[in-house]
Amino acid sequence: MNWAETIVQALKDWDTSLIAYVPDISIHQVTSLIEADPFFHLVSASREEEAIGIAVGGYAVGRNSAVFMQSSGFGNSVNALASLCIPARTPIPMFINLRGGPGEFNIAQVAMGRSTRPILDVLGLVHFTLEDEYKMDRIVDGALKLCHSNRQPVAICLTQLLHGGKLA
Amino acid sequence: MLRFDATKLIVSLAGDRAIVSNLGPTTDELWHVGHRDRNFYTYGSMGLCSSIALGMAVSTDEQVISLDGDGSLLMNMGTIATIGREQPQNLIVVVWDNEEWGQTGHQPSHTAKGTDLAKVAESCNIPRTATVSDLEELGTVFRTALEELGPWFIVAKIEEAGYMPVAPIEPELTIYRMRNSFME
Repeated sequence: MNWAETIVQALKDWDTSLIAYVPDISIHQVTSLIEADPFFHLVSASREEEAIGIAVGGYAVGRNSAVFMQSSGFGNSVNALASLCIPARTPIPMFINLRGGPGEFNIAQVAMGRSTRPILDVLGLVHFTLEDEYKMDRIVDGALKLCHSNRQPVAICLTQLLHGGKLA
Repeated sequence: MLRFDATKLIVSLAGDRAIVSNLGPTTDELWHVGHRDRNFYTYGSMGLCSSIALGMAVSTDEQVISLDGDGSLLMNMGTIATIGREQPQNLIVVVWDNEEWGQTGHQPSHTAKGTDLAKVAESCNIPRTATVSDLEELGTVFRTALEELGPWFIVAKIEEAGYMPVAPIEPELTIYRMRNSFME
């Protein structure tokens, strides 16, 4: 399995069938697999904090849910995490295309990309960063397990080194 | 129309349907009408009330009710477009529209200056919309919404009144009770 198929399998293993996202070219490989798979309901949100709200709603009626976004959109999500997910203890896995790493071409992506993980740290949220597929199945599966045992969001940061994403 | 009287009316008609409430007085007044395990009280995440209700509606066959506010929806108007895109037939959005940000000093909101949220909903492909200004109209429209497929978007013009004591809500228990009620 490649990285995208590994994520899809982990979501299925954890019965996570509601996916809310804001489109991103680098994670299109995985969200297009999700869209084509009848196991999932993929909701296209207009903004990333909205995607968090939709995922929390799914969880509230018994359906495991996850979100996909890029790091700029994580910046749009901070208050939803701080004032909804954390106090309500909702286990929402966040798959984040982490910009601002080696090969970044866009000056406007650097500051938010570089500050994503420090913000997660300040919020007390666990995160993992994937730069290659080595042990990736165990890391993603373990991240989802931790997400549910801790009943808090977990971030799985996907880098350009992993997905080969957008380079100008 | 006072929000508390309108909230009592909605709850009296809602049966055991899930209700999501916007932060502040909407949540407080829903709690003061009487706690139900299927009340999802929010007390933060301004703007996400109807987004949460949308996530619920696409995940259950039961009807879901959102009690949102004009100021909050203005912060996340994109969710109206997402509702229009998803077309959840079991979602009823009620917007308490007092045309102001009541809790922050009664500053007029955009709905006092020309924004018509029902027209926004119509233009987002939500055909079942209504604007009501008294309890009788609200009751008539809401009963229809319970009977006929949505998504529904009901703007209820309300007068701002004094605030009730802050509801002693507990977010973790709120979601635990709601989730359990759907998993039994």
